Amino acid sequence: MNPAIQAILFYVFAFGALLSALGVVALRNPVSSALSLACCLAFVAAIFFGAGATFLGIAQLIIYAGAILVLILFIVMMLNVKDEQPAAGHWCYCIVGVVIAGMMAGTISSAALRLPGATGGRCPVHVLIEHANELCPVSGEEQATQPQTPPAEYGGMLPSISMKDHESDVSLLGKRLFTHYNMSIVILSFALLAGALGAVAVGRKLRRD
Amino acid sequence: MTPLSHYLIFSALLFSIGLGGAIMRRNVLVVLMCLELMLTAANVSLVAFSRAQGLEGVPVYDAQVLALFVMAIAAAEVAVGLALIVAMFRARRGVESTSLTSLKD
Repeated sequence: MNPAIQAILFYVFAFGALLSALGVVALRNPVSSALSLACCLAFVAAIFFGAGATFLGIAQLIIYAGAILVLILFIVMMLNVKDEQPAAGHWCYCIVGVVIAGMMAGTISSAALRLPGATGGRCPVHVLIEHANELCPVSGEEQATQPQTPPAEYGGMLPSISMKDHESDVSLLGKRLFTHYNMSIVILSFALLAGALGAVAVGRKLRRD
Repeated sequence: MTPLSHYLIFSALLFSIGLGGAIMRRNVLVVLMCLELMLTAANVSLVAFSRAQGLEGVPVYDAQVLALFVMAIAAAEVAVGLALIVAMFRARRGVESTSLTSLKD
């Protein structure tokens, strides 16, 4: 795809995602908030597609916008939640929330603009890898195995994603997931099982005795 | 093409909208949605770094695996959180966080 079109699409999707995220916070009705969240997650999935993470984008659409949002909507409708009425003294919380959120945004943004190597227009991770020897010295054997990679641009363009014919995003991600992170995914499955059991245990009716 | 810093700033803005919502809103369901927003913002920066580090058109997949783990944990979190909200509704007849003051009183 044309890089200029990709950049324009990123800004359009980012604007849409931020707008619908504001909708989640600002809308009174929880159902409108949930639908706005679905919009926001779909926009973020589109940004994932643009960044070349196709599998993550599809997983985002299916897991978040499909499963989790439907579950939340189900609970909202089951509990028959009313619109939030503005209470006395609520503006105080609003001011505190806006101030803390603004400080957080400013801090992270300024950190993103001042990351190591940002002034040289290089990817901060690459700079950290290059200077790893000064930070924690390694033996010569380990040093030889470290990949020598050219630094990517930080202030400039991101490297474009171009898969070879016989490789796809899903197969590469799956290879990484089921070889290097095999044990982690087993532990993760236990965490999911614990979550399901916990949900059942918390959700069952309490006996009054 | 977009520089990495714009992805990071977008992620920061999304995260702070979620944080502000979690502070401002009283409806516990909306607070849970704002938590989802914050997790998604973290995923955006992970994906951006995975692409920025990539070589010869192939992104670094460690970051995407981490983003996948974040998604799975978010699913578990939503399951437990919604069960807690249903339990809270049974006990208090409402989902307002202002009704949870029994420790204070």
